[in-house]
Amino acid sequence: MLEKNYLWRIYWRLAGVIMVCVVVALAVVSYFSHRVFDRELVPETEQKAATVGASVRALVLKATGYGIDFSQLYGVEQTFAEVFEENPEFAYMAITNTDGNVLYARGTEPIGARTHFRNPVVLQIAHETTDLSKAARVGQQYIVSMPINNDGKPLGVLHVGIDAAFVDHVLLEVLLDVLVVLVVSLFFTLELLNFMAGARLASGLGEFARQVDRMKAGDFTATARIRANDEIGRLLRRIDSAIDHLNVRYEFLAGELQDKVRTATAQRREALKPAQAALEAITKRLRFGSAPQAADGDEMNLNRIRAPLFAFILAEELTRSFLPSYVNQLIVAIPGISPQVVIGLPIMLFMLIVALGQPYLGSWSERVGRRKAMLVGAVVATIGFTGTALAYNLYDLILWRSLCALGYAMVFVAAQGYVLDRTGQQNRAQGFALFIGAIMVATVCGPSIGGILADNIGFRASFGVSALMSLISILAIVRLPATEAVLPTGKPTRGPRMREIMALVVNRRFMTLTGLAAMPAKIILTGVCFYLVPLYIVSIGNTSSMAGRMLMVYAVMMVLIVPLSASFSDATMRRDRYVSVGLIISGLSGLLLLLSDSFLVLFGVVFLLGLGQALSIAAQSALVAEHCQEEIRIYGHDAVYGVYRLLERLGNALGPLIASLLVILWGYQGSFVALSALVLFCGIAFTIATHGSEWQPATPAHP
Amino acid sequence: MGTIRVRFIIVALVVSFFAVGMAAFLNYFKYKSTISGIVKSRVLVIGRNIENSVQASLSVGMQFMELGTMNQLLQREKASDRLIRGIDVFDQTGQVLYSTERTRVGEKVVNAWTEAAARSKSTEWGTEAADEYVAGISLKNNFDLTVGYLAMRYSAEEVDRAAKVAGREILLASIFSFLGIALVAPLALIVVIRRFERDLRALEAAASHLEDRTEPALPTGSAFDGAIGNLRSSLRDANGALDDLRAKLDSVS
Repeated sequence: MLEKNYLWRIYWRLAGVIMVCVVVALAVVSYFSHRVFDRELVPETEQKAATVGASVRALVLKATGYGIDFSQLYGVEQTFAEVFEENPEFAYMAITNTDGNVLYARGTEPIGARTHFRNPVVLQIAHETTDLSKAARVGQQYIVSMPINNDGKPLGVLHVGIDAAFVDHVLLEVLLDVLVVLVVSLFFTLELLNFMAGARLASGLGEFARQVDRMKAGDFTATARIRANDEIGRLLRRIDSAIDHLNVRYEFLAGELQDKVRTATAQRREALKPAQAALEAITKRLRFGSAPQAADGDEMNLNRIRAPLFAFILAEELTRSFLPSYVNQLIVAIPGISPQVVIGLPIMLFMLIVALGQPYLGSWSERVGRRKAMLVGAVVATIGFTGTALAYNLYDLILWRSLCALGYAMVFVAAQGYVLDRTGQQNRAQGFALFIGAIMVATVCGPSIGGILADNIGFRASFGVSALMSLISILAIVRLPATEAVLPTGKPTRGPRMREIMALVVNRRFMTLTGLAAMPAKIILTGVCFYLVPLYIVSIGNTSSMAGRMLMVYAVMMVLIVPLSASFSDATMRRDRYVSVGLIISGLSGLLLLLSDSFLVLFGVVFLLGLGQALSIAAQSALVAEHCQEEIRIYGHDAVYGVYRLLERLGNALGPLIASLLVILWGYQGSFVALSALVLFCGIAFTIATHGSEWQPATPAHP
Repeated sequence: MGTIRVRFIIVALVVSFFAVGMAAFLNYFKYKSTISGIVKSRVLVIGRNIENSVQASLSVGMQFMELGTMNQLLQREKASDRLIRGIDVFDQTGQVLYSTERTRVGEKVVNAWTEAAARSKSTEWGTEAADEYVAGISLKNNFDLTVGYLAMRYSAEEVDRAAKVAGREILLASIFSFLGIALVAPLALIVVIRRFERDLRALEAAASHLEDRTEPALPTGSAFDGAIGNLRSSLRDANGALDDLRAKLDSVS
């Protein structure tokens, strides 16, 4: 454990330095971008102001053409107000007469405007007969002035003020995305540190620590391992060499003694007895020879799964924030099915294929080999992503997304199996932390970056990026060890049988955990995060980037809270309470939209949902082992957990369906509220159902 | 330079490349979308003038298909901004009814226009082709029914030129930022990992004398002091036992 914390301290320091460098670089890029924006956008906006001004001037001239006095026009300020509404970068509009006196004005008058209007150069504009417009910086605005001239008779000057800070507003929007890039960079740094240096470093230092412990315990058996050509590798080679040297000495001395005893006379044999006793003492206390070849390099191989898994999951996560909008774009009318349900159809189908496929793909990946199964899965998904990018309409999109789902299920199950094959009881939790860690980091990075890509390069090109990521994951999978590490004692895994499913579905204790906790949690997750948030955000005039940022909030909450809630719920052994509280918080999240439909409230919804899910998610599956021991005894651990996961994933598939049906009935806000109310109800029901004494945790036996 | 140090530096460079690249990408596309938006809204201002005229004609009972002064109005509005290449008015089937180019009247517009107009949730719509952009407005009568569409074709050159200039400058700024990081980050990383490297050196130094059985003094405070101590005492113990055996064997001869 010492070296693990030691390494993490180094990682964080390195990540800190890298982040400081990145922040400085981003500041430099932003500064220069601001300069370019300022220089290039202002003249373009001035031209636009001239066009808008020409339109207003035409109205004024039309009115004066009807004989209305130029100084007594009606509704000019209202026209200015309409212009401001359509052009938020305009801050001020005024019409002055030929003396420079303001006749009509609206908006924030810049300091020095009156003086500017009376400037002889500006007054001269009224006498221009062409469409000429002149721009000048006045206070915090750029004032574009143009003549109002009725067939050669000067009437006055029209001034349009452009807020100089509008470029800042444009860049502020970029800044939010740059912040997202910064957060993603931090996670990306930690992931890369682990991939490029950490995995080898951690396994090297771990190997060193184990070697020291072995030697301390008197084990000097030699290992024939290939060491990496780095500092730790060199160090381990030196230790190996010292051990080899000791082994040679031991072998030589033992052989010499044996020879001497064999050829010695009785008297001499007596003299050799102290040496024989010394050798006996050495063989009792110390071990020499060759070490067994068991689990050679498995820790290193275990770490190698992280990079391909991260790249592959990232490919899918990139699409989360914009997939419903893309489906909306390709939608075709299906008779008898509402468009809202049709939009959710590809997500639903994806989840259903993953749910139904996973139990059976587990044994398949065991048969064909984890690496091969991952390769096949990633290739299938890459074809799916490419097809999705090129999809003609909804029908072929569904086909391509089904391929993505199949590939996803294959890779997920095979990667899970890869971890299981290379871990034992003592390091399984560590193995799964690595597995879940890769997924969580991809969940943080994917939707936000995907949203940014979709907004800027379009949906199709963004799916192209996903295909590219999936392709990269194939390259990383190819580098995984070709030899499988199947535990000799391990039984082949199998999917749950129908008999077991039927028996467990009617089991009250099992269904309390599954039907009232696991399924509702997944329904609200996919219903809200994968379906409602991306669609609702776009429907209120926001972008896919914003949807991605929202989903990132959810993922960050999971990354931060899940480890804490998992350790606290394990320590207190009141996992049911964590599940209850988590469900109730999730259930309350959507109800916030009853207060307001503002954007900040939606942020609160996602925040609370993330918090609720993070509190309950770790405790949920642990509760199955804790309270379904009788069922595990009857049907077996694999069957009970198989059915539990199957139903949980069916919840994933149901989420978008239920959400879309609710949208038809009550609109987006109503759907958020109703879905949350459903989960709140389940949370309260779960709390009541687990209140009895049979649900109390077993008291640990006192020594 | 140590292999581990090189790997850390590569990580710093990869992450910086990603962050700077993303920032440049975001700034460039934001600039392009902003300038496109400004130019498009400028064109739409002219379109609104035409829309107002059409609606005024329709409100006094004129038929949409028989607006006699429409072609002249389109010509006049086209002349008001050099950016506009042409203006077309077409019906829901895509047939051009009025145009600044007489040859286009009666022809069908490309499907992308009618699709974009039908897909749009507001009255404004737009499409982008390689060299020409289109900004459009759905024309409605007094009963809020769409009677046709107005399409203003304008040159993509202005947006492309501005985007190219900005893109070049943003790219240059990004390259210089990245080069700056490439110079500074390795130095900063060396400072941060020097203690780790010192610890590793202490370990290596200790390990290099394991076979010759000398035990040079090591800098104290290393994170591996305990491990080095254990390593040495284990080897010392084993070597001691073998030395003892050697001595006992030698004493017999």
